[in-house]
Amino acid sequence: MSAAHDGVYVYAVLRAATALPKDGTGVGSPPAVLRSISQGPLAAVVSDAPPQLRARRRDLLAHQNLLMRLADEGPVLPMRFGMVAADEQSVLAQLAAEESAYAATLDRLAGRIEINIKVLPAQNALEALVAEDKSVQKLRAAARRSPGYEASVRLGEAISGALTRRAAAAGQRILRELASTARAAVPGPEVPGCVLNQSFLVDRAESEAFLLQAQSLGASFREHAEIRPAGPLPCYSFVSAEARSVLVGGK
Amino acid sequence: MTATTYSDEVVACPPRAGTLYDVLELILDRGMVIDVFIRVSLVGIEILKIDARIVVASVDTYLRFAEACNRLDLERDSGSTTVPELLSGGVAKSVGKRKVRSAAESVGDTVRKAVGGGDDSSEEEDEPHERPKKRRAPARSSESRRRRVEA
Repeated sequence: MSAAHDGVYVYAVLRAATALPKDGTGVGSPPAVLRSISQGPLAAVVSDAPPQLRARRRDLLAHQNLLMRLADEGPVLPMRFGMVAADEQSVLAQLAAEESAYAATLDRLAGRIEINIKVLPAQNALEALVAEDKSVQKLRAAARRSPGYEASVRLGEAISGALTRRAAAAGQRILRELASTARAAVPGPEVPGCVLNQSFLVDRAESEAFLLQAQSLGASFREHAEIRPAGPLPCYSFVSAEARSVLVGGK
Repeated sequence: MTATTYSDEVVACPPRAGTLYDVLELILDRGMVIDVFIRVSLVGIEILKIDARIVVASVDTYLRFAEACNRLDLERDSGSTTVPELLSGGVAKSVGKRKVRSAAESVGDTVRKAVGGGDDSSEEEDEPHERPKKRRAPARSSESRRRRVEA
């Protein structure tokens, strides 16, 4: 059992009435036992923080899985991974201090979920690219005439750049389409290899339709971009102060 | 960033929707932060991010793309001629053709072993390779002529 001096790991802030999932467990090995501590209308789901907590796959999954399950029960303010409070008292003090702000955000997120959409260059679109892109065609011919390292690098660089540009253009069109049916949209952190990383706030009842729409956009842009949807998710991207003034259809 | 892409390793096992891979940056970079709380072990997190996204924006990637581009030709050699511009002269061509040939043969061998066929089928296998060669030869030379004019 981890000692109290490692602190209290905080998973989420939610409404005090929200039930903990019966067999839910926390981070650490063995998985930490969860508890809910409440302060007025709000509660925090916490556990003892395991010693030497790091961003291990196991712990990230535990964090994510618990939040997914909590989100099924009602609105949740998911904490970023790895937030550790000194003790329960400081968690309760925080709940008291921010009560109205937290409650308002929970109200705003009630019945809604996050869907994250990543757009990447289409990897199977090389043929279409070569058929359409004149500069790639030229470099390709050059590499054929005098094959070699330099020519190959130049050709590959041109292909890589062209694939990315095509995907980025498709990504902007995809973003516009999806943003028009979402409640809100915010750009996610830049992810290397992705030309678009965008999170959408969607009514839970609409999430399936939204994912279907993403899928069909993916099909229509498949020669330019690959769409990777993830969700429904806890609203990671819609809890922060900057996410309150959300951008719909932004870049 | 014009030069970023992701590697074959990532493509080979595409992450599924909702898995850790696809939401990693949200778990690590989004979600609520409380200033008075401690955030643990950022060093470990950075390492994990790098591991999770094997991103290559490098000469290796470029060479792989160039190689894939060459493979396009090879696939065409076995049938499709929809974009004749893709076929051009040079050393790479003959090398490529040999590769196609041996690849086709090894596939043929495997099939033959599997079905237990004899030599007759192997002659049949070879024939289709001869005919397209003859048919394409003039197209190629006229094509390379045109390229020279363009260049």
